[in-house]
Amino acid sequence: MPSTSLSGRGARAALTSIATAGAIIAGIATAPLAQADDVAAMNWDQLVAAGKGKTVNWYMWGGSAKINAYVSDWVNPQMQQRYGITVNRVAIDSTVDAVNKVLGEKEAGVTSGGSVDMIWINGRNFQTMKQAGMLTCGYMEKMPNNANINWQDPTIAFDFGIPVDGCETPWGRAQMVVVYDKARTPNPPTSLEGLLAWAKANPGRFTYPALPDFTGMFFVKHVLYHEAGEYKPFIGGFDQTVFDGVAPKVWTTLRELEPSLWRKGETYPTDRAAMHQLFANGEVDFTLATHPDSVGSDIESGTFPPTTGSYVLDGGTVGDVHYVAIPFNSANKAAAIVLANFLISPEAQYEKSRPEVWGVRTALDLTRVPAEWATKFANLPRHPAVVDDAALARGALPQPNSEWIKPLEDGWREEVLKK
Amino acid sequence: MTGQEKKAFILLLPVMLVIGTLFVGGLLLGLLRSFNYMPVIGLDDPSLDAYARVFANDEFWTALALSLYISVVSTAIATVLAVASALVLRETFKGKRIVTFLFQLNLTIPHVVGAVAILLLLSQSGFLARLGYFGGLIERPSDFPAMVYDDWYLGVIVQYVWKETPFIGLITLAILQSVGADYEAVAQSLGANRWRRLTQVVLPLIAPGVMRAQIVAFAFTFGAFEVPYLLGKTFPTVLPVLAYQRYTDVDLGLRPEAMAMGIVIAAVSTVLILGYMALSRRLGRT
Repeated sequence: MPSTSLSGRGARAALTSIATAGAIIAGIATAPLAQADDVAAMNWDQLVAAGKGKTVNWYMWGGSAKINAYVSDWVNPQMQQRYGITVNRVAIDSTVDAVNKVLGEKEAGVTSGGSVDMIWINGRNFQTMKQAGMLTCGYMEKMPNNANINWQDPTIAFDFGIPVDGCETPWGRAQMVVVYDKARTPNPPTSLEGLLAWAKANPGRFTYPALPDFTGMFFVKHVLYHEAGEYKPFIGGFDQTVFDGVAPKVWTTLRELEPSLWRKGETYPTDRAAMHQLFANGEVDFTLATHPDSVGSDIESGTFPPTTGSYVLDGGTVGDVHYVAIPFNSANKAAAIVLANFLISPEAQYEKSRPEVWGVRTALDLTRVPAEWATKFANLPRHPAVVDDAALARGALPQPNSEWIKPLEDGWREEVLKK
Repeated sequence: MTGQEKKAFILLLPVMLVIGTLFVGGLLLGLLRSFNYMPVIGLDDPSLDAYARVFANDEFWTALALSLYISVVSTAIATVLAVASALVLRETFKGKRIVTFLFQLNLTIPHVVGAVAILLLLSQSGFLARLGYFGGLIERPSDFPAMVYDDWYLGVIVQYVWKETPFIGLITLAILQSVGADYEAVAQSLGANRWRRLTQVVLPLIAPGVMRAQIVAFAFTFGAFEVPYLLGKTFPTVLPVLAYQRYTDVDLGLRPEAMAMGIVIAAVSTVLILGYMALSRRLGRT
């Protein structure tokens, strides 16, 4: 291999030969499937026929026993029974692992017969895959259950401000809530301003996860909206002037908060799980949950004390939608599309919304589903510690456009973490 | 090639093929990416930009220093404990088998499990802190000294010492047994006391072997990610965690930097290992 020479040509030749070899191997491996893979020209019945007998390799975060059980023990048997499709849940730590896998395949020239058929995704990972052309798009209209989705709703049609453009299927909704212990903090602060003041008055009893953690980012976004006084400037693409105007105020607020944080802000919990642990152990008095219903299940499982409560901040909290997407080189596209369609059926969404199963809010527009289903959804039991729908809906703020995330992350590292 | 050499070559071929493709292949791909070559995201003009960006970043140098500090300190402490334990364990005494078994038990425990155990033991709401609370020594979690996520990376070092001591210790024990007691007997007959026998006979004899065990332990701790990720501070952090952060950043343009850091880790380990091996060979000759 000529890669010992570091000239552009040598390196390029080496990589091209590796890529070619990969493409040839992949080509041989998937030759008989090539025709079945061409989903663009298929109608729904043809997709169902092509998907029969296939296995969908679904890469998803594997950190919750409840979520895992929903997919493996409920979705999978349903899919086998209805469509003869097997759902193989592949547990990963972080969505970026699946993105890296598809990226690696793309680099090796594996344009069909790839190993990832579906990814649970949203936000910046979606942006990355969409930009790099790593997604299958344009199959929404083929799916009968697409009628249950309100694509006019901007929180559905835009994923962190990025147009979905038919490249992913909405799967559920989340919204940040503040979690506290009624026994320790009978009168929790109800606004972000109040929360910051409370943290300063009670040194060492509040913290938030270090960015780029998802939950930590939720908190910083709230501070951003709070300092700007509104969320509207951040819904559109990145604007350096707006950022330069508001970012210093955000860093000042967070830096002033630091001495009052857990461990004086010298370090931060790595992620949501670490912060939940601090709250459960009584090291801090608040934690943040991005799925409102998880508070109920964490109480039931004994993670949180029974006196735990949760609420939405005055002025609202950031909500977001999570999706499933199909990589451009999926080996079982037809089967994956059939699965995506099933996931947005009222049955599958209702099962997912039941508190004892997963307890996550539906992505469906309940005015579009059959009336009996709308009633069932409306009558879903709620854990008393979980914020009710009305309060969530009153206070739902949109996510900033994902172009704002990177500057916020970098700025937080430079201006808060390192100072 | 003699018949014997040919046979050895053929027998080793499958292993060499696996190592060649996976390890060397991976290293080459990493090297290519570290030269900013990643056509899939539009980087198709190889350059040293990623290295320039990495070397210009203070965070990188802090991480490098921190990685070296943790590896040196934990390997040094583990070596002292390991050699001392091996010297005790080679004697015959009652219950030796049980003690030896307990000594090597944690070799089978994965680092991640060990790290979680350290967290449960040493964190401010951990087992020791709770004991302190019940014993009335502390009133609230934050009164317990910070031993994880701390400035000195104490938790990380404790974990590595805990894990490396039996590793170096067992190798030392094997060397001690192969060296035997003859040299010491000779020294004793010539009038050397216990201390002189230890410092002038035993330690020089085992030093080259112990150093080789140290190299393995050092290289591992220098390149390992999971323990400092779980027990370390958010900032500053060690080189492998920094490389991981770059690699998992959703900005694909940072991948070359992650790869460059990976190559630096590999290069530093290689240089240190070669230097140390040369040193241990020289020690072995004298």
